[in-house]
Amino acid sequence: MRLNAAVALAACLVPAAAIFEDDAYHIDFHHALLGLPKHDATFFQKPYPASKASLLFTISENSTIGVVNPRDGALVWRQAPSPYASGNGLLRSGEDQDTVISAIGDRITAWSSSDGRVVWEATADGAIVQDLEILEQEDGITNVDAKDAIVLVGDGSQGVRRLDGKTGRVKWSYQDASGDVPFQVSSSPTTIYYISLHNTLLGGSKLKVTSLSPITGKKIDQYTLNSDSEIQDHEHILFAGANTAAPLLAWTDKANKVLKFNIIGTKAISTFNVPQSVVEKIVLHAPGRVNSLPHFLVEYRTATGLSAEVYHVDLKKNTISKAYSLPETTGKGTFTVSTSDANVYFTKITTEETTIVSSVSHGILGRWNVKGSPNLAGAYPVHGVSEVVVKTGKPSAVRSAVLFSNGQWALIRNGELAWTRPEFLAGAVSAAWAELPEEETLAHELEVEGHQNVVSAYFHRVQRHIRDLEHFPAWIQNIPKRVLGNLVSKPEESTIDEIQHDTFGFHKLVIVATQGGQLAALDVGSRGKVVWSIDLHQFAPEAVFQSPSVKAFRGYVEIKDSAFKGSLYVNSTTGGLLASKDIPVQPPVASEGQSLISFDLVDGILTGFLGAQSIPEAVWTFDPPAGERIIGYTARPVKDPVASIGTVLGDRRVLYKYLNPNLVLVTTVFDAARTASIYLLDSASGQILHTFSHNDVDISRPIPSTISENWFSYSLTIDSTSAATSRGYHLVVAELFESAIPDDRGPLGAASNASTLQPSAAFGDAAKPHVISQSYHIPQEISHMTVTQTRQGITSRELIVTLAATNSIVGVPRNVIDPRRPIGRDPTPSEAAEGLTRYMPIIPFDPKWHLSHRYDVVGVKEVITSESGLESTSLVFAYGLDMFGTRVAPSFAFDVLGKGFNKVQMLLTVVALFVGVLFVAPLVKRKQINTLWTI
Amino acid sequence: MPSATLPPPPPQWVLDLHSTPVNKPKNASIADPPGYTASLTKKERLQSSKTAMRKPPTPEEMDTLKLKKAWELAIAPAKQLPMNAIGMYMTGNTLQIFSIFMVFTLFKTPVLAVLAIQRSFAPFETPGTSGRLIGVKLVYVLTNLLMLGLGIWKVNQMGLLPTTRSDWLAWEGERTWSERALPRDWL
Repeated sequence: MRLNAAVALAACLVPAAAIFEDDAYHIDFHHALLGLPKHDATFFQKPYPASKASLLFTISENSTIGVVNPRDGALVWRQAPSPYASGNGLLRSGEDQDTVISAIGDRITAWSSSDGRVVWEATADGAIVQDLEILEQEDGITNVDAKDAIVLVGDGSQGVRRLDGKTGRVKWSYQDASGDVPFQVSSSPTTIYYISLHNTLLGGSKLKVTSLSPITGKKIDQYTLNSDSEIQDHEHILFAGANTAAPLLAWTDKANKVLKFNIIGTKAISTFNVPQSVVEKIVLHAPGRVNSLPHFLVEYRTATGLSAEVYHVDLKKNTISKAYSLPETTGKGTFTVSTSDANVYFTKITTEETTIVSSVSHGILGRWNVKGSPNLAGAYPVHGVSEVVVKTGKPSAVRSAVLFSNGQWALIRNGELAWTRPEFLAGAVSAAWAELPEEETLAHELEVEGHQNVVSAYFHRVQRHIRDLEHFPAWIQNIPKRVLGNLVSKPEESTIDEIQHDTFGFHKLVIVATQGGQLAALDVGSRGKVVWSIDLHQFAPEAVFQSPSVKAFRGYVEIKDSAFKGSLYVNSTTGGLLASKDIPVQPPVASEGQSLISFDLVDGILTGFLGAQSIPEAVWTFDPPAGERIIGYTARPVKDPVASIGTVLGDRRVLYKYLNPNLVLVTTVFDAARTASIYLLDSASGQILHTFSHNDVDISRPIPSTISENWFSYSLTIDSTSAATSRGYHLVVAELFESAIPDDRGPLGAASNASTLQPSAAFGDAAKPHVISQSYHIPQEISHMTVTQTRQGITSRELIVTLAATNSIVGVPRNVIDPRRPIGRDPTPSEAAEGLTRYMPIIPFDPKWHLSHRYDVVGVKEVITSESGLESTSLVFAYGLDMFGTRVAPSFAFDVLGKGFNKVQMLLTVVALFVGVLFVAPLVKRKQINTLWTI
Repeated sequence: MPSATLPPPPPQWVLDLHSTPVNKPKNASIADPPGYTASLTKKERLQSSKTAMRKPPTPEEMDTLKLKKAWELAIAPAKQLPMNAIGMYMTGNTLQIFSIFMVFTLFKTPVLAVLAIQRSFAPFETPGTSGRLIGVKLVYVLTNLLMLGLGIWKVNQMGLLPTTRSDWLAWEGERTWSERALPRDWL
């Protein structure tokens, strides 16, 4: 109707949907994550020598370098690894330097400590960096300038290199052709020690120490230590000190019975017995600063408790002696080491308390009780770093950044929990929107009513309302609270109960599974709060999780992984394990009278089977042409409501949409010919409905695609070296209609049912859609795309694309990428009434479309969308390294009051009017009576 | 030529101007022109008051007159039609408060007029005219319908009439497909 057209036109004229300033940081959240921090590469450090406060530097297990403000846990800067980086990440920093140096794979990079900018970068030419140390002293004199880095490389050309601290240029390089396994480098004022593992014939390893001149890199000396009876591989070496504060090599035997120490540079080995009989793990804590006392602590972890011994090294006599031991305490925990001037302090952190001892004596210098937190319930400290503030020779305050066993990285300041970061969420591999049981019951009841006749449905409804009355008293009691909550800003806390009774449906749970086998539920409505989190290992103890996948059902989620057979069923509201027999029966996917066909990629061929079971014979197969291989397929979502089955044209005629629930988009590439093809299949019959083919495609780049309603889109990269006239990133959008002619329903006519398996003879062959497509140039590569979802599909859709280059998520309005935009001419009045604008080959991503605004959403693997309780609004959640959630209203929030609506003013107006009426009513009454009497 | 030398006869008005009007003879047989009332003498006035009472029209004449009047009433809406049409054309097809009001009156007036048809024709209702008035009333209804038609045309122009396919789109359903295919891992 023309009214609709007018509204559509108005919608085009107003600026495209954007995030409002007052919504930013309220409706959206971003967990900027790092991953689990590594123990040896986490430290407190001043960003520049004159700085008063120090920052917390770390490199995580997935090689993300992150700097966190210890005060509030906010990220100062972060450098995520390129997806091709391999090898373990190293991060070192010299004293009084304004750079930190990292090595990931073959890349050695110096970063500015305060802002994370690259100072210099060097590559190890294909070799993998095994160790990285900072040369603190040279010839006994501390460097004041930029300190040089000593790099140990292996896996290729093996050897030691010295890199200039200012430029990263190689000063000298020592090649080791012995074929030994490079292990570590250690520096002393006069010598650089290169420690490698020399494999003996019997299977053990001998420690080989080569001393090099720091000035020239020439070999000075070499000796081996007899460690082959104990050391089988890297793991048995407890510690290799990097500098004079801990010039140590420490190793243990397989059974953790004997401790052996060697002072680097000498051949003597001191042996100590482990005090406890059964020790699970031995950890050695030594100070990292050059000028601190050479004292160290050996931590013994048993199944139940924790004890430690402190040793002193006499550098003059080259002896190691035990100073004192700390008695075993029950409860798990860890020790950390910190220095103040030359003094060394050891901090013991358990779930109950934090205590500090000096390395000199065993007297406890400080003790703080740790207050529990729901975030850390049931978890214990795994490792940490501490910073001690010493006043008048006594530690007065301590703050420790501790990694807990549940993956939370927390800062404990004098026993108080200052912040926690949910680092276990980094590297999520699968996520799904949880469907809560409560709302589903209502949906079920409504379904029942929908299928009954009017009278019985009415009685059913009345009965339901009578049953609902039991909630009435509670509802009445809640009213004051709710009204107050509406007037005053709402608290951020949310419980499962609130999520279930959320009016607007913004509080929706996302169940996230991480690579490490952690499962967590996040409330997207209350800024990504972790509602519960569990470790899946407790349900499947032997499994080593590769990439668990999550699938949501009513009230529970199903987790599958290649590590174990079958599936785990977890309650989505509590995180508890469900036995298979407790699982409620799911309604069938195919409605009554529909035959179910499932399809899967079998040996590179897309194959359809009858029913859910894997019956050997296929109903159909889609084998791409010779040379092409299928790289992926996208099917229409199960829940994809369509409000209108046609597109209304400007002259009020209708183009009927081709709405086939079985559409699937198959992407294939031909490596040799560098072509990519997109096949639109009907997955019930396997018939090809449409094909697109592109030449000169850079097939190493991703080709994301999505399909929704009656349109699909995909994006690809045309090789820049090709001869094609239009190179770069393309976004192709295609829309399917039943017929090219308006007001025509195509070959199927007005038939209310259709089948592609048995096309009715009366209607000819199976109906093929009329496809209108258009391609656009886009400024950036799209790594993933999806479409917003709303409850009834009335709201126009938005294509949500992930831009990996700028770490952002962009919502492209549907009307911008409409394939029916007129080309080479201005739209006719009737087209303009539809909201079509002239085709422009380039779509710049409008800054207003960026859903992630200022957030830097790194490493997004997938974006999932869900309907909310409001038709206007769709929930969006992105996961990967980071977690990001927001909600979008592509046609604006037309069904909810905005933030600008002044409820107080409205209430005051009502009250004022009421008071006015109270005053005026007697006056009017008197006047009326008087007029009656005067007649 | 002698005739050419003669001046043309002066026009009548010149003659009229030069000749002073002759007094009307007392008992002229020529009647006064219609609408002219000569000043009457006292006697005459007296006489006229006695005898000049006009003869009342006959019922037939009355009926004819009433019918005439009724016809005028019946055709009146049609006379407004062009003006209304221009007005409607000028207001455009957008939905505005003015055009909505105008269209509303366009609908209201004919309907109310038709409903009140008996009342408006009551003055012309006599035993003699009642039979002939039916035709007049029919014409009245027709002209009002013309007005209504103008209103409908206008509403159609504004796109408010459900005459196209798109207006009935909501009643058309999505096809049900007899197969449902899903990826295996979604099951």
